Formats: sequence, C-alpha cells, structure tokens
Amino acid sequence: MDLGFYTPLGAEALLTALAVLVILLGSLMKKSGNLMGYLSLAGLVVSLGLVMSTAMSAKLGQVFFFNTISVDALSQFFKAVFLVVSMLVVIASLSRYKDAKGADEFYALLLLATVGMMVVSSSIDLVTLFVGFELASLSTYALAAFDKSKRNLEAAMKYFIFGSVSSAFMLFGFSLLYGMTGTTKIAGIASAALSNFAPATLVALIFVIAGFAFKMALVPFHMWAPDTYEGAPALVSGLLAAGSKKMGFAAAFRVIFVALLALRLEWYLAFAILAALTMTLGNVLAIWQNNVRRIFAYSSVAQAGYMAMTFVVVGAALGQPNGAAIAQNSIAGGLLLILGHALMKMGAFIAAAVVGYMVLKDGLKEGSDPDDISNYAGLGRRAPITAFCLLIFMFALAGIPPTAGYIGKFVLFGSAINAGLVWLAVLAILNSALSLYYYLRIISYMYLKEPAGPKISEPKGYAVALILTMIGVIGIGVYPQPFYNWAMQAAAVLLPH
Amino acid sequence: MAGEPMAVDYYIPLIIFMIMGAIVPIAALAAVKIIAPLKPSRKKRSTYEGGLCPVRDAKIQYSVQYYLFAIVFVIFDVEVLFLYPWIYVYANKALQQFMVFGMNNAVFEMLLFIVVLLVGLVYAVKKEALRWV
Repeated sequence: MDLGFYTPLGAEALLTALAVLVILLGSLMKKSGNLMGYLSLAGLVVSLGLVMSTAMSAKLGQVFFFNTISVDALSQFFKAVFLVVSMLVVIASLSRYKDAKGADEFYALLLLATVGMMVVSSSIDLVTLFVGFELASLSTYALAAFDKSKRNLEAAMKYFIFGSVSSAFMLFGFSLLYGMTGTTKIAGIASAALSNFAPATLVALIFVIAGFAFKMALVPFHMWAPDTYEGAPALVSGLLAAGSKKMGFAAAFRVIFVALLALRLEWYLAFAILAALTMTLGNVLAIWQNNVRRIFAYSSVAQAGYMAMTFVVVGAALGQPNGAAIAQNSIAGGLLLILGHALMKMGAFIAAAVVGYMVLKDGLKEGSDPDDISNYAGLGRRAPITAFCLLIFMFALAGIPPTAGYIGKFVLFGSAINAGLVWLAVLAILNSALSLYYYLRIISYMYLKEPAGPKISEPKGYAVALILTMIGVIGIGVYPQPFYNWAMQAAAVLLPH
Repeated sequence: MAGEPMAVDYYIPLIIFMIMGAIVPIAALAAVKIIAPLKPSRKKRSTYEGGLCPVRDAKIQYSVQYYLFAIVFVIFDVEVLFLYPWIYVYANKALQQFMVFGMNNAVFEMLLFIVVLLVGLVYAVKKEALRWV
C-alpha cells in the first residue's frame, strides 16, 4: 500500500497523532500546559500549511476510503477556517490556562474537535459525516464545561442535551434517506432521490434540516446558543460560534445542495422562512440584552440567518435559465461570510475573555455578572488594544467596509438580488442596519463612558490573538480578490456540472 | 399500485410486533390480578434476599467514583469485542498481501488502535482515575 497516496489527508493525521501525544505527555509530565500549547500551535500551523498546499496543488478532487472522504476546494476552504479558529483559541489559551491543571486536556480536546470538524467538511458519505459531527460535538461538550464553574456546567448541560437531540434528529433523517435510496453516499442519494420520490423523503428532509439547524443555531432551533455562549468559557464560546457552527454549514451545504437537489423547491421554502425568521429575531433579541456575550450570541444567530440566505438564493437561482452562475456567486458569498464571521466572532469572544480577566482582577462582586455591559465602560482607556480590536470586529459584524463582514454580505446580498429575491435582500439590509444599534452601543460604552477602574496590562496571548484576527478581518476586506476566487472555486464543487 | 408492495407494507410485521409487545405484559399483569389469590403477610412483603432475613436499610450512601472504573472497563471490553471480527480479517488470505511498514495491514491497524487505547490507560492511571479513595 502506498502511503504517499494519503498525503492530502496529512493534516488530519498529524492533528490526531498530536492529540494522542498531548494526552500522553500531559499525563506523564507535571506543569506541561504551556509546552502542550506551543506543541498544539505548531501542529495547527503545520496542518494549515498542509491544507493550503493541497488547496493550491492539482491533486484536488481526490477521494479516499471507499468514496467517503473527498479532498476538494470546498473541504480545504472549511478546513482552513477551522484551523485558523483553533489557532486563535490556542494562542489566546496560552495566556488563559498557562500551566493550569488540566491545560493539556484542553489542548487535546481542542485538537480532536478540530479534526472532527475537518472530517465533516471532507465527508461525502452520511456515516462519515455523522462520525465527524460526533467527534467534534463530544469534544466541545467537554470543553464547554472546562472551567467547572456553575455557569459552565449549566451551559455545557444545555449544549449537551440540545446537541444530542439534534444528532438524533439528523441520524433519523439519514436513516430515512438510506431507507429510500439504499445508499449513504451523497452522490448516490442525489441520483436515487430523483427517481424514487416518496412522502418519506420529505419527512427525511424535515429531520435533516432540523438536525442541521440546531448546529447552525437557526430560529427556532437557536434556544441553546445564547445560554451556552454566555456560560461556557469565553474562548470555548468563540470556538462554538466560529468553528462548530460553521461545521453545521459545511455539512448542510453538501447534504442539501448535492444529495437533496431533487427536493429543491421544498428546501427552498423551508430555508426562506428559517433565514428570514433567524436574522430578524436574532437582531431584535440582541437589542434587549445587557450581557455582552449574549449580545454576541444573538448576533451570531442573526449572522447565521444571513448565511442561511445562501440556501434560499441557490434554491431560487437553480430554477432560472442562467441560475448556475448566480448560485455559484451566492455560495461564494456564503463562504466569504462564513470565513469573515469565524474571524470576527472569534475575535469578539477573545475580547470578552480579556474583559472577563480584567473584571476578575478588579475583584468580582458576589452575584454580579462578569460579562455585563457596564464592565465595558471606558475599555478604550483601560485596555486600548482590546477595545480597538473589538471596535473593528463590531464594525465588521455590522458589515461596514473595508472589512471581511462587508465583503461576504456584499457578494451574498448581491446574488440574492440577481436571483430575484429582492424582498430577502431588503430584509437582510434592514437587519444589518438594525444590528448597528447594539454594536454601536458596545462601542459607545467602550469609548464614551468613564472607565470603571485603572488601566490593565493585557495578557500577551490575548493581545497577539486579537491583533492577528484584526489583521485578518481588515486584510480580507481590503484585498478580497484571492479569497473570492477561492470561494468561487469551492462553490463550484457543489453545483451540478 | 396493486401487487407492488409499498415501503410502508414492509413495516406491517414491525407494527404487529409492537402492538403485541404492548399487549403481552398488560395481559399478563391483568391475568395475575384476576386469577391469583391474594393473602399478604409480613414475611411475604419483606424484601427477598436469597431466603435470608434482610438486614439494615436499603437507602445507604456509597461513593459514585466507581463510574470511572466502569467507563474504563467498558472501553476495554469493547476493544475485545472489536478484536473478534478483526481475527476474521487477519486470517483472510486475500487481505494479507497488503503491507504497511513491513507488516500485515490488519496487524498495523489493530496495533494503532491498541496503542491509542494504551495511551488512554496511561492517562487514566496518571490522572488517578483508578485510585480508590
């Protein structure tokens, strides 16, 4: 057997081996937290290099393990997103966990979660997809409770219960699809679903959409998200919002666009309702929150609504004469928004982690909320780097140029108009305007209010992670062409040739 | 549609099975209620414990730490279960031609699996999951 054949999967293999190594070394050595952190960081950087080199090479489109894993432009795009997010979490964690007890477990779980997400983005078989989903989910359930505070445990418990229920939904949908088509291969389902249309296929579609919508946190399946993002350790919330949620999109893109293409009209309608509800409700609910992490959570829900527009636009476009180009453009817009949102939300949660650290240093009053917006008062003077980066992320989330958030929204909303979905584009733009209210509210607290305490020195890990994220967010906004081209190439994978 | 069985038709035996499954225990309990003579006494109502007289209260407190042992046990139990089908693959002459690093493919894969589990065992021991307190 030629191992060289498997080089495109080197990144996953490396991270898996590294996770096992981290567990082993972590249990044998004392005070190994920082070492394990740097080791994980090195592994993630090398993996990102491997993924990018595969993405650039001509080897794309290869399939492995009996047609269950595919290495194509789409999978490499998502893998790059997941790896960047995990890298940021690791860099920030170097300040957060240092040599704390169990830091090695944190890194091992993080690496395994990343591998799970990468498997999901690559899988072209429902069983592999589910296994990847579960690997990522189980690791993040444990991570959500990592600090073992009461809030952590509540958050993790809610996340765990909702996550398992959604997995059950998804699996039931998959099993019905298997029953209808006799195969678990995504391509096989696509060709069989056309000829064997049955009422049960519709039921399967509903279950699959519900299962994915839980992961993507679309309204009305979003209830777990605010509670979990609020209660879990801030960096883990970032991982959930920036990584785990995008995994739902990676899976849904393949299953909905490729496997269930025959049911286009049905899922078009379902996602039109879901997307419109999600963006509106997410933004409206975010306005009333005083807890900044809850604001981020609801904003994340709203952003998922924008991303879900991709499904609607593709559904509408494919029925039109020149629809393939519009569909490709809209998927590219969705992918750019996913990339941009991963960076922006990760950055925002790192900033929340800095504020949490600051509040802890001030001495937290009993029963007060460390993430309350009043703690952000005067952040511009107390923690200038954090405040400035958060300012950029807030503008980017609202979609103000030149940031990554703007590029994604521009391409996606533009394709919605091209597909004739003017009502959806107008609704999305109105929502973006509405979202400015709560983003500006945080900014006004940071820069216009009197500081509530002395200036603090920001921990290096957090600062480095924040600055790197900010450079990414602005870089994509200023020079979007290569990212757009890459996203178009990735989008082409999903469309019928 | 005549003659061609629908997908639902295949489930009719399953539905019958489920209905019967629901009826049988209810019927059995109802039959006992109707037929059996009821003569309770103190001895008869006490907990049955191998014919001995029960001692102490049933509601005692005990440490739940055994769950860690149980989890570790289950993992290695499943490992052994996994070895059975593996033997079949290992013995298959057709598959023995695949070599990885100079060894049989099946051996390599199982080695990988067991090494990962071994790391887990080292982890469990070092993190004192197996120390009884």
